[in-house]
Amino acid sequence: MSPESLKTSATPRRPMSPHLQIWRWHITMAGSILHRATGIASVAGAVAVAAWLVCLALGPDTYAVFLAYAKSPLGLLVWFGLSLAGFVHLTGGLRHMIWDLGGALQPRTASTLTAWSLILGVLLTVAFWAWLFVSGKVSL
Amino acid sequence: MTKKSSVVGARSAADWKKSEHHGAGTWLAERLSSLALVPLTLWGAWAAFSIAGGGYDGAVAFVRSPFNAGLLAITIILAAWHMYMGVRVVLEDYFSKEEGRGVYILLTFLLCAAVVIASLGGIYCVYSHTAIAGA
Repeated sequence: MSPESLKTSATPRRPMSPHLQIWRWHITMAGSILHRATGIASVAGAVAVAAWLVCLALGPDTYAVFLAYAKSPLGLLVWFGLSLAGFVHLTGGLRHMIWDLGGALQPRTASTLTAWSLILGVLLTVAFWAWLFVSGKVSL
Repeated sequence: MTKKSSVVGARSAADWKKSEHHGAGTWLAERLSSLALVPLTLWGAWAAFSIAGGGYDGAVAFVRSPFNAGLLAITIILAAWHMYMGVRVVLEDYFSKEEGRGVYILLTFLLCAAVVIASLGGIYCVYSHTAIAGA
């Protein structure tokens, strides 16, 4: 084959990332997908924080409307979900830092590290909400 | 370099690679922003805890502390930058140029910028006792 024909056959499309359905399930893959999913969910968390600040700036009346939604059972469920995404993304970020430093890169240690990062993320979320409820700052 | 590209084809690494350091800035920005966000988001969780149940007055008092206002602003700016870089990587993985990658990246940038502008505007108004017209 001439370089010219190689060019036309090889150039049309760059390879894309493997799509989700072709992976066999394993924990580092689940951790990777969860890290992206929780990161994207945290964007919604940042929008919620921005909405909180704008409502606060708009004064007591607007803030009362914000609080009514934020304190409702559905609102608390949303905050819970956002905090879970945030904490799991945080511990996932720590996992990536350990990998970036060259640690836990064997298949076995990588899997163990991923499991612990997920467990720690969930534990932080549960502890945070237990603390909120026990201190009486939040109630259903 | 030209020898290599004529063998491999038009899109070999030698053709698009600008230097050994190209892309290192993005890599570093991703790591440094996440490193800074570890303590900042933990502080954010503590902030959320201290504001919870405090109502309007409690939240206003929190934001009017210079320390809190400053840290809140830094956290939001770094988080928005980190968000933009992170979502961009996902978009680049799953959408080709033909599928509108550029438009999605632009929309992501605008969303992140809107979060920063709205948040900093809110912090400024609360901090400086500025009443927003009509409120």
